[in-house]
Amino acid sequence: MVNRNLILTLLVLVLLLALALGGLGASTAASVLLSGITLGALYFLVASGVSLIFGLMDVLNFAHGSLFMLGAYAGWTIYTNPRLILNTAPLALIVIAGAAFGGIFAARFAVPRWARWLAALIAIAILVLAVRGLPVDKLVAMGATMTGKVIPTSQAEEPIGAMLVRVGIAFVAGLAASFAMSPRGRAETPSSTRRALATAVVIAAAALAILLLRDAGEQAILGMENNARFVLALGFGAATGALIGALMEWGLIRPLYARPIYQILLTLGLVFVFDQVIRLIYGPAGAFMDIPSLFAGSGNNCPSPDLFAWFSQHCDSILVLGRPFPSYRLFIIAIGVVMLVAVALILQRSRLGMIIRAGVQDSEMVEALGINVRRVFTLVFALGAGLAGLGGVVAAPFLGVYPEMAMEFLLQAFIVVVIGGLGSIPGAAVGALLVGLARAYGDNIVLAGIQLPGMTSAISGSPAIARASTVLIMAIVLLIKPTGIFGKKE
Amino acid sequence: MNNILEVDSIQTFIGQFHILEGVSLEVPESSITALLGRNGAGKTTTLKSILGLTPPREGRVVFAGKDVRGQRPYDIAALGIGYVPENRAIFRALTVEENLKIAERKKGDLARRAEMIFGLFPDLKRLIKLSGGQLSGGQQQMLAIARALVPDNRLILIDEPSEGLAPILIEQLMESIRSLSAHTTILLVEQNFRMASQLADRYYLIDDGRTVKQGAMKELVNDRATVHRYLGAA
Repeated sequence: MVNRNLILTLLVLVLLLALALGGLGASTAASVLLSGITLGALYFLVASGVSLIFGLMDVLNFAHGSLFMLGAYAGWTIYTNPRLILNTAPLALIVIAGAAFGGIFAARFAVPRWARWLAALIAIAILVLAVRGLPVDKLVAMGATMTGKVIPTSQAEEPIGAMLVRVGIAFVAGLAASFAMSPRGRAETPSSTRRALATAVVIAAAALAILLLRDAGEQAILGMENNARFVLALGFGAATGALIGALMEWGLIRPLYARPIYQILLTLGLVFVFDQVIRLIYGPAGAFMDIPSLFAGSGNNCPSPDLFAWFSQHCDSILVLGRPFPSYRLFIIAIGVVMLVAVALILQRSRLGMIIRAGVQDSEMVEALGINVRRVFTLVFALGAGLAGLGGVVAAPFLGVYPEMAMEFLLQAFIVVVIGGLGSIPGAAVGALLVGLARAYGDNIVLAGIQLPGMTSAISGSPAIARASTVLIMAIVLLIKPTGIFGKKE
Repeated sequence: MNNILEVDSIQTFIGQFHILEGVSLEVPESSITALLGRNGAGKTTTLKSILGLTPPREGRVVFAGKDVRGQRPYDIAALGIGYVPENRAIFRALTVEENLKIAERKKGDLARRAEMIFGLFPDLKRLIKLSGGQLSGGQQQMLAIARALVPDNRLILIDEPSEGLAPILIEQLMESIRSLSAHTTILLVEQNFRMASQLADRYYLIDDGRTVKQGAMKELVNDRATVHRYLGAA
């Protein structure tokens, strides 16, 4: 079983390698390979979450590409334009605090169905009131963000008093929302009440702190050394992804576990919602994020002759077999590898991982052991979404940020998990590598053409070849092993 | 004697189907109580209803003096109920050790009870590094029971332990379950009447989703007519 997987994987890898090396010089081949692994690392960050979530919860999350895109936007925004976050995050946080606080009371009533709907409508209406007229366009327009539309922060922001009123209204919206979401007939214990209260107070305090310190916060972030700011962006993008993922699972997917078709419709719908929200805030055009200076050095001794020299020089590229290769892409590969190892360690070594591996097979039995599987589901959703969010920020200096990246990466991630086998992390890693290599090789064909031995001139391909090649691999794998390389038999 | 569990005329639906139409039973502490009935009578659904896996719509499920009906399965189980399902539900991707460890409710549960568990099932100690998927049916059954012993469970629900096992293994299993009853209370569902009659102190007989008869096991053994009527030729 394992041997067969291994043989199949190696076979395809060798085939690709032979093809890649075929008409190419060694240095070109090396750079094509590295480009492929770079793409593979990004695909893995999205596909691993899709695979984990499907494996444990049987939910096919179409919105996972959107989480990648949201992570990219969140990381890029905190990096270049933190005032937008500092002025809007408090509103989002206070809604959550309100919902947690209201949940303490809502849980005491058996809220009838019509009242839930009413509460949901009221919550949305109050929320609209809370954000109505918020000068988002002014907050977005900033020197580093939108060229030609520079508005100083002091003029873009609303006065603190008005913001506090908005925060108060948003809190009420959260209260109303809690009645729409309150769990049916669950006994509240004193400890759960205390936990909910503590959560509400902490989140509300965080929201108020961010709001009151918004100007100092903006200066502190923009004043950071750019590598440190980039690390902040990575963390913030991952956290945003994880938070949105957790809220999605808790609020939208949880009621639909018994109805798979509805989950697909819901998550597919979210793709369009997130897409439009981003376009509404940032406009349809994309932007580029600066490469942090650690990977952007230039000078007399650049490109660095090897990896060790790079550690002292921080050049923007490193010579690989005599050909320069962007050092930032090696960083992407490193992040991909680190995350693969981290996920593997969590799955194999931690109690959470043990519960996930057991839950993939039989979540009812896990529940019967007295383990709160719902909390595990939310955690895994947050984990997968956090990986996607992190991936988005990592990709931003390489590919830029733009709304369409959601769909692009969703499609590639699905191809990856189909190749690797749904529910398998090694499968996601191998699949991502294969798809990444195929893309890179396809791109090279488009760029340089292909010349096999015996051909008089090179045949160049159209850009469609690069995209088609991944689907081709998927078709081949499906023919040989319909459940994917590491997939289990149904 | 105190009752650790009291089930009072529960009604359970699965989808459209009315499976339990009034099952009542009482399980006295430190005993083995057998739940008998023919295929499809509702024995497994009764166990699942107690745990909330198939939540009953009506009736009461009182465990250790607390009405738990309507609570989530993990909250009910965490009160101290172990479950050994019909298919054993051993986690194939986990090692034997992990299969035991996952059942811990407090850190160190397994270490505290290792001596008792491996005393009952010495074979498991030898198999500890194997994965659950590599075990034979009998070994899986032992592991499933051992898993229910890891946390501090006051009641263990065992569903059809003898199913699919060779006669010699059934003898061993009976020995284990008998010595187990020194540590905890057991509610046993068993098709094999000979096995159930040798193990249990009391019985409940259910038919078509209702409790129809109850009493001391000794009396049922001599009541040929009832056994024949509700359990078929036995």
